[in-house]
Amino acid sequence: MAERDRPSLDVLARAALDEARGDEAVEAYAEEGRRTEVSALRGEVEGITVAESRGVGVRVIRDARLGYAWVADPSLEEVRAAVRRARENAELAEPDPANGLPEPEPAEPLPQLHRPASARAGTDETVARALDLEAYATSRDPRVTRVDLVQVGDAVSAMHVASTSGVDVGYERTDAWCVVVALASDGEETQTGFSFAIGRGWDEVDPHPVADEAVERGVRVLGATKPATARVPVVLDRYAATAFLGVLASVLSAEEVLKGRSPFAGRLGDRLGSELVTIVDDGRILAGPGACPVDDEGVPTARTELVAAGVLAGFLHDTYTARRTGGDQRSTGNARRGFRSPPSVGATNLYLDAGPLSLDELLARAEGGVLIQEVSGVHSGVNPVSGEFSVGATGLRITGGALGEPLREMTIASTIPEMLLGVTGVGSDLRFLSNVGTPSVLIGEMTLAGR
Amino acid sequence: MLDPDLVREVLVAARRRGGSFAELFVEERTSTAIRLDDGRVEELTTGIDRGAGVRVVIGASYGYAYSNRLDRASLVEAAEAASAAVRGEAPGRVVDLTRRQGPGTNRVERPADAVASATKVGWLREVDDAARSTSPEVTQVVGVYGDSVQRRLIAASDGRWVEEERPRIRLVAQVVARRGDVVQTGHYGPAACAGLEFLDRHPPRRIAETAAERAVTMLDAVPAPAGEMTVVLGPGAGGVLFHEAVGHPLEADAIDKEASVYVGRLGQRCASELVTGVDDATVPNGWGSFDFDDEGEPAQRTVLFADGELQGFLYDRIRAEKAGVASTGNGRRESYASPPIPRMTNTNILNGSARPDDVIGSTERGVYVVNLGGGQVNPASGDFVFGVSLGFLIEGGKITSPVRGANLIGRAIDVMQAIDAVADDFDTWEGVCGKDGQAAPVGSGSPTLRIARITVGGTGG
Repeated sequence: MAERDRPSLDVLARAALDEARGDEAVEAYAEEGRRTEVSALRGEVEGITVAESRGVGVRVIRDARLGYAWVADPSLEEVRAAVRRARENAELAEPDPANGLPEPEPAEPLPQLHRPASARAGTDETVARALDLEAYATSRDPRVTRVDLVQVGDAVSAMHVASTSGVDVGYERTDAWCVVVALASDGEETQTGFSFAIGRGWDEVDPHPVADEAVERGVRVLGATKPATARVPVVLDRYAATAFLGVLASVLSAEEVLKGRSPFAGRLGDRLGSELVTIVDDGRILAGPGACPVDDEGVPTARTELVAAGVLAGFLHDTYTARRTGGDQRSTGNARRGFRSPPSVGATNLYLDAGPLSLDELLARAEGGVLIQEVSGVHSGVNPVSGEFSVGATGLRITGGALGEPLREMTIASTIPEMLLGVTGVGSDLRFLSNVGTPSVLIGEMTLAGR
Repeated sequence: MLDPDLVREVLVAARRRGGSFAELFVEERTSTAIRLDDGRVEELTTGIDRGAGVRVVIGASYGYAYSNRLDRASLVEAAEAASAAVRGEAPGRVVDLTRRQGPGTNRVERPADAVASATKVGWLREVDDAARSTSPEVTQVVGVYGDSVQRRLIAASDGRWVEEERPRIRLVAQVVARRGDVVQTGHYGPAACAGLEFLDRHPPRRIAETAAERAVTMLDAVPAPAGEMTVVLGPGAGGVLFHEAVGHPLEADAIDKEASVYVGRLGQRCASELVTGVDDATVPNGWGSFDFDDEGEPAQRTVLFADGELQGFLYDRIRAEKAGVASTGNGRRESYASPPIPRMTNTNILNGSARPDDVIGSTERGVYVVNLGGGQVNPASGDFVFGVSLGFLIEGGKITSPVRGANLIGRAIDVMQAIDAVADDFDTWEGVCGKDGQAAPVGSGSPTLRIARITVGGTGG
């Protein structure tokens, strides 16, 4: 990143500490990033976005009162002024004994996150990559001549956090990704097929297979019909399973538990799912896009088992929720934030642990059932408090151990607990589509409502 | 905000490969946000944001680069990055920049940033106190205060250069009332592009009482009737419907994509002849008002319907150029981090000549809508569904019981045709509109108006 006589992030963050008074805790979080994104349509560049940002957010805790202030691209003096503003804000807040900053802990760095040589392409190279991907995606199948979206991007970013309790840590990372939304058409009918890949560098992201997958996912549901309502075995592919696990991620946050917005409050040690279900958050897995050596308060990340062989084993915590929970609860390294707001609880890499079965083996166990490849309305359709949901689904009939006729306009109405208890097989094909990853999952029986 | 030589240098760099035009947008924004939840300050944040975006347009494609670094090297680098959208052309011209002065649409008497946060927290404590004093049935009160000042510079290769300061202020009360198992909410949150004089017209106590009365009133609500019936929209409520169901399909990107029910209908009667509707960014201190849009076009008042006849669409520069017309000054963006798109400003149905009492008095049976809640609109077909957050029955020309669970279901063109009375008591409603991932403050307004027949979805008989 070009420095141009600007203070580095660590110097910026430490500048806040100069301003701290003896009776207060001060923390500064500094971040910066640069991202290039190119989208292509009909053989042309549709849009190019080059984004650069930098900012600092400051927390001041005084008499258990928390104040916050932030500033974009500040000078050292502006960081110190932000401390004074945060202090004024703290004076007006109510005291909360759970407000506090973490003590420093040694963190093992993850140098593999930062690979600028393989991630940072020039804009012209990114344009060429986007145009090539769009041309490739529209040449694989006569039914796919258009895309809804082809986008290629890369980014380099960094953070540093420093506090009066002694935290002084940061890291850099790189990302490269591509997205294809193919439009498959046959007569009047149009279906979309989505695929996505992300890695720390271009050597980890192969765009053509992404286009192939998007094309296949669009084409294979052409001609889909609405099936009769039936109770059948269901295989959730990784896209569908990821949508559900994303909802689970939010109800496994201690913040949601403390605010009374999780169905899992007070249920530690209870069986929530089949013993095949193990859900883990692990910020140190490099395959996950959420990998980081420390969280956004500087607490080292770790492997946190949330559901162990079907039993609720823990929640995601930041320093505030750990202190408020009390006992020996410690932060699990799950504070997430941007510089414009104070930290809150979020996942790093949250995943359903892989099982031993290939997708073919899962399909073989689901004879007469349905592979679901897409669900819609998950975020509005799932009640995070009760866990009830009703979502729309698109998929394929499983016949003779293989994928058969396409099906659409199905609805699945169930509850998250019922679904977790119903898991009878877990695939070995774990993949991270975002910072949430899953393998394919077999659910013994679900009601698919159709005709 | 920036030296004119630097502005010119950035535009020259952005035009190094040609293209239709290049533009620089610079902003600095200071903001205060305070949230008081049941008497506790839950959030008190002050922020300073700054950044610049450079856009290079060629036909309908664009390159956009932004940074929150405002030094010369960063700006030139952004300009060069944005120009990558254009390939293999000769450098384009940059006309000498001429600064244009605006009329001062959003004048401020008493700037909000001159007052300490403690005073602002005090207003929220007044909200909490006044809402609870309204009724013992009030159980929860949330007060939210926000103010900001956005300073903007816009310059483009055709020589335009404008600078403008936009002040914003908003005070919101959200109240929960409970009686036994029945829980209802009330909400009121006026806003303006103004200073603290806004609070003279909207004292915190009054905002709180309005929200509290709404929540408590709804405790008595009966299930809404269902079926086709007459609906009277109170002052302001019709503007929200007009914005969502009619305004969005009139934005030029929807027209360009042919995803609008109004494509090809200019000059046709598309609404009752009682309806004259405008999009007006020139309203003094309006929530959607400005001197210049986010592409530097002067604010305009665009007539959308004149006596029911469709007269205009809302354009930004790219769509205007494509359609061969002039921009209507509707290019807006959330911040330097987004390119502009066609957006409404203050979208209003103008006063008619009826008296509101007569409109209600001449309605035998129907529903009176004070406030609309969330809605969904399909711009291509014009189909919409809106929730009624506060409504009453009209029985024998009189407003009677409050109703709950009412929806208005209709089609934009049919409903606009079915308006058979427009009163003279215009009022506004201020909201935040989301489109393509960008939030924009928008105003809407209307007098009391009556829809002769519309489907009401309700659970009662």
